[in-house]
Amino acid sequence: MIHRLIEISLRNRLLMIVLALILMGSGYYTYTRLPVDAFPDVSPNLVQIFTLTEGLAPEEIEKFVTYPVEAAMTGLPGVEKIRSISNFGLSVVNVYFEDKMDIYFARQLVGERLQEAREQIPEGFGEPMMGPISTGMGLVLFYYLEDTTGEYSLEELRTIQDWLVKFHLQTVPGVTEVLGIGGFEKQFQVVIHPEELIRFGVTLSEVVDRIRDNNLSVGAQFIEKNSEEFVVRSVGLATSMDDLRSIVIKTDDGRPLFLNDVADIQLGGAVRRGIQTRNGVGEVVSGMVIKLFGTNSSTVIAGVEARLEEINRILPPGVRVVPYYEQKSLVEAAVRTVTSALVQGIVLVTLVLLVFMGGFRPSLVVAVAIPFSVLFAFLLMGYFRISANLMSLGGLAIAIGMMVDGTIVIVENIDRMLREAGPRESRLVVVTRACHEVGRPILFAISIIIIVFLPLFTLQGVEGKTFRPLAYTVAFAMFGSLIFALMLAPMLGHMVMRPPKTGGKEAWIVRALLKPYRPVVTFFVHHRWVAVGLAAVLLLAGALVFPRLGSEFTPKLREGTIVVRLTMAPSISLEESKRTTLIVERRLRRISEVREVVTRIGRGEVGAHSDPINSAEIYVLLKPKEEWREAGSQEEIEDVIREELGNVPGVLVNLTQPIEMTVDELLEGVRAELAIKLFGDDLDVLRREADNVASVIRRIRGAADVQVDQVSGAPQLLVRIDRGAIARYGINVSDVQEVVRAAVGGVVAGEIFEGIRRFDILVRYEPEARNTADAIRHVLINAPGHVKVPLDELASVEEIIGPRQITREDNQRFITIQCNVVDRDIGSFVEEAQAAIGEEAALPPGYLVKWGGQFRLQQEANKRLTVVVPATLLVIFLLLFSSFQSLQNSLLILLNIPLALVGGIAALWITGQNLSVPASVGFIALFGIALENGMVLVMYLNQLLREGVPVDEASVRGALLRMRPVLMTATTTALGLIPLLVAQGTGSEVQRPLATVVVGGLFTSTLLTLLVIPAVYKWFAHAPAQEKSTRTA
Amino acid sequence: MNEFTKMILAFPALALLLSTPAWGEGEPGHVDEGDGHDEHEAVQLTDAELEEFGIEVIPAKAGTIEQYVSLPGEVRPNADRLAHIVPRYSGIVTEVLANIGDHVKRGQALAVIESDESLAPFEMKTMIGGTVIAKHIALGETVSREKDAFIIADLSAVWIELTVYQRDLDRVRVGQKAKIFVGHRLEEESGIVDYITPVVDEVTRTATARVVLRNREGRWRPGMFVTGKVLVDKIDVPLVVPRTALHSVEEQTVVFIETDEGFMPRQVETGRMGDTNVEILSGLSAGTRYVSSGGFTIKAELGKESFGEGHGH
Repeated sequence: MIHRLIEISLRNRLLMIVLALILMGSGYYTYTRLPVDAFPDVSPNLVQIFTLTEGLAPEEIEKFVTYPVEAAMTGLPGVEKIRSISNFGLSVVNVYFEDKMDIYFARQLVGERLQEAREQIPEGFGEPMMGPISTGMGLVLFYYLEDTTGEYSLEELRTIQDWLVKFHLQTVPGVTEVLGIGGFEKQFQVVIHPEELIRFGVTLSEVVDRIRDNNLSVGAQFIEKNSEEFVVRSVGLATSMDDLRSIVIKTDDGRPLFLNDVADIQLGGAVRRGIQTRNGVGEVVSGMVIKLFGTNSSTVIAGVEARLEEINRILPPGVRVVPYYEQKSLVEAAVRTVTSALVQGIVLVTLVLLVFMGGFRPSLVVAVAIPFSVLFAFLLMGYFRISANLMSLGGLAIAIGMMVDGTIVIVENIDRMLREAGPRESRLVVVTRACHEVGRPILFAISIIIIVFLPLFTLQGVEGKTFRPLAYTVAFAMFGSLIFALMLAPMLGHMVMRPPKTGGKEAWIVRALLKPYRPVVTFFVHHRWVAVGLAAVLLLAGALVFPRLGSEFTPKLREGTIVVRLTMAPSISLEESKRTTLIVERRLRRISEVREVVTRIGRGEVGAHSDPINSAEIYVLLKPKEEWREAGSQEEIEDVIREELGNVPGVLVNLTQPIEMTVDELLEGVRAELAIKLFGDDLDVLRREADNVASVIRRIRGAADVQVDQVSGAPQLLVRIDRGAIARYGINVSDVQEVVRAAVGGVVAGEIFEGIRRFDILVRYEPEARNTADAIRHVLINAPGHVKVPLDELASVEEIIGPRQITREDNQRFITIQCNVVDRDIGSFVEEAQAAIGEEAALPPGYLVKWGGQFRLQQEANKRLTVVVPATLLVIFLLLFSSFQSLQNSLLILLNIPLALVGGIAALWITGQNLSVPASVGFIALFGIALENGMVLVMYLNQLLREGVPVDEASVRGALLRMRPVLMTATTTALGLIPLLVAQGTGSEVQRPLATVVVGGLFTSTLLTLLVIPAVYKWFAHAPAQEKSTRTA
Repeated sequence: MNEFTKMILAFPALALLLSTPAWGEGEPGHVDEGDGHDEHEAVQLTDAELEEFGIEVIPAKAGTIEQYVSLPGEVRPNADRLAHIVPRYSGIVTEVLANIGDHVKRGQALAVIESDESLAPFEMKTMIGGTVIAKHIALGETVSREKDAFIIADLSAVWIELTVYQRDLDRVRVGQKAKIFVGHRLEEESGIVDYITPVVDEVTRTATARVVLRNREGRWRPGMFVTGKVLVDKIDVPLVVPRTALHSVEEQTVVFIETDEGFMPRQVETGRMGDTNVEILSGLSAGTRYVSSGGFTIKAELGKESFGEGHGH
């Protein structure tokens, strides 16, 4: 088959060139259309449902809002799990779908069921709605409004944001949502004086009704007049504060009682659960742009920036929109890191080719393999919808050296054959023969490289999403290189390459290397045990170094923007939260590298964040790197920040990064190894039992960092109605509740329109009448017979500590006990813990324990790998076997793997890096290359043997002859990775361990391929008798 | 075949790499709070931080506790200085001499009435000086002795009738000081509770406490709603702290005291609770320096370990 393929391509040369050009052209076209991201998007496939119910406590939110939504979502196809958080005033239900589900289909399913949920949620408890069609990487640009005149109030600025900036930004293609935060949302406030209500004998609900009754417009069809139609409009909307003031509440004796008589009408800011501060000075108004799922970050941001310029022109003088964070520079930096590595790699590889091949023509043929493979990979990326990002482009950068390997072998063989061929032989025949000889091995070698990457595809979760694009692009590029090597290289070789005029002389570097190599390899072949000893020593060294390596999961990707995350006490008030944040901001401003700090506290418009007000995220914007004092990297500047901040009393400080933070929030997984989830109904029982379980776990050997989720800590003022008391006065519960809700919390009584801008009318008691516990106790309630009763005659008003939030999973409340395990195997720990909990912490009926955490993920990963790794191994072995038809040969080639491993480990150790997922990916790539090298050598040794050369001589001769291709493939691969090894740009920290392992491993593996394999070849070679029979067969 | 086994080992080594449990992101330096419920660590703050966070530290000392009861009420005319004026005889009104709001002197004629019996005109006079607050009489009308023609009130002093609910009945006493508030930017005034009704009203189940207020300028108009804060108790106690000094930590009431090691929570037993001050019965001794305001920061610092839940570390 391979022979036919080669022949076809050699026969239809023009067609092949045209096809190749078309392929490359469309590859380039796809590349220009590829969505570009900074990193692979690791956010889970989920649909978020937000329900905003101002003023409702977590318990009520859970009961009236979260539960109906959750219940409606169960049983949808493809749902993995449902998790919910009921916070003060906000319910968030996360519906996690399987990764393969189409997000639009998932949203459609959720949307249908949401209708059911709406019917279940009581009137006035909020409308559930889906979050933006986006992912954790969707927050592409943040901005704030700068007011240079100082004349605009926070309300005015917020109105500009909500009705001008947001309005114009929302129409930029690729923007799915613009959310505002900070300042005050303008509101028409009706501030009720309760004593006036009593004096005039009106109730709060009457006031609310009157406002509603006096604020509406209607349409009344049309009238005909002289054959013309006149549409009838009756306009009765209140448009100003004066309209509101003159609403008549009631008329006594012909004397109207105006709203103005019982209340003050004023403009004010709505109640808010989030603010935005800047530079330790004060509040600003701000907004964030969320891009649509699957769109190209760079183009969306460019579009937004262009629109911002237009918006700045139409804003009132003195007001300006200032973006303070955008993902574009990150995307550009990440792409720049890999593309520059790519370009440098190509240059280096071409140089190596020139040096080793000793001729321009063959080098040209090989070099063309790189653009062809890369463009071919782009084509497939477009087809499989893989975005261009750090990892996928990184895969190409890794593969650069490997892309040329197949072609090198072909070209090298053609080169050699042409040199040896007689002058009368047709070039076409020579080239065909050369290609036939190596076609099959190339197919096998490249297949093996692709197959070694198989285990990577089984990685799950974040690691899977991070590294799978890399595995894909490597596979694509290798596939491309295979096509090139088998179908284009022979043809190009025929067209370009010429037999050397000077006869078969090797390039000078090859000759220089062969001189010392010859005696060494001869020595090893004659003293095989020395070679075995050398290999054993190296393996031993590797085994010794291995345990010394530190380990980490994945090195942190540096996003280039630092976020200081503050977590304050759960009971904190917004004012105190702001005060504390401003103090921290001022401390940050003392750092000379810091240009500006902008902070979000709590949440703004619903859709992106659900943080409570005790959480603040400070974006630290740095001056250009040239102006930094001493710090040279993001890590160093983080250290400076930590040092300068010191311990902030009452505040937990974490340094993180924008994307990392958002993704973490969406994943909401437990980071500890072991998570014991206790499910049940009663929060108090849950907490008690969780403490119990925790104390049992603490006593078990190996337990460390045992922590129980803090679920309570939010003080509440609980109004508990005394049914006996209200019965005595003849009052209904609802009478009391209505007054409490409207008087203390406020009630929206319609909207005021200013053009299309609409603002709420909020009716609420004056602050003095509601803002202390005592004042609330004294709120008067109407009883029959013109009796006024203060609230605390009818109800107990007490201060309690309530839950700060209620989390649910699978329709049940739960609490998590986290734990790490040290110095012992986690499986036995879990067993012992389960037994101990069964004995000592008997749970009440209806309560159950589930075991999870990272250990479960690892167990699953292990289970998968115990199948996948042997399977991969088997496939490789079969490939080798079918290629060599020899068990011994195949084993000899596999021998390369441990030898390669040693170098990788040593390289990690020397450079002080840890074992990590990217390092493992490096090992995987390394195995493929090592196998390939082994194949090249063993194949030739076999050939010599077949020609009847004695084993010892064949070993030496084969090694000498094959040194060039082995060294070439190894050097090109290693040099192709050097740029990644030394890169300092964004994202280089993830690629570096990978490159380190491959380069280090290639060093030992090549050394040993060239020294040990020829030495031990004898033991693995076919017996001549067998050889004969195979040949005749 | 020795090499073969090694090679077999190589792939599990890879499997090991991919699944090393030590990859869990446990922070080695993580502090385990354990069950250190009683053993609170001291919170150390520099003077600069005290200033930055607005934390005030003062020595504990004696003080007074003022306890108020807040009651709704209304302004009423002084019933002791109120006159209902009726004609001596029934008859026809021939002349009306006074109008609502007029100030009248004692003995001043308010109207002239022609008696039905004698057909003679006579003057209807007020027996007190004051303000005409009601007038039910018009020219030509027949008036009778059964119906008030005028109500004259002496508004130089008014009664503030405060509604006393059952739970406050045993605390509100005659002779206690009361501050009366009207709101609407009107000034408050002080008075004394001089009377409490001996029975509670059958409908409202409330008693009424009366405060007499002087009303020279006529600011207190009968009918106004007011709020009265009655000082029901004023005690000198050996140790008080402001209410802002109290915090609840793990369901216990504490005050943060200053020690050599730093600020520590000290559980206290509180006694009577005043408007601004709270009596301390035990747990704190006079002269101990404690945090009078801004203690929230210290409370938060103490509880810090526990709030990192939910979001990633």
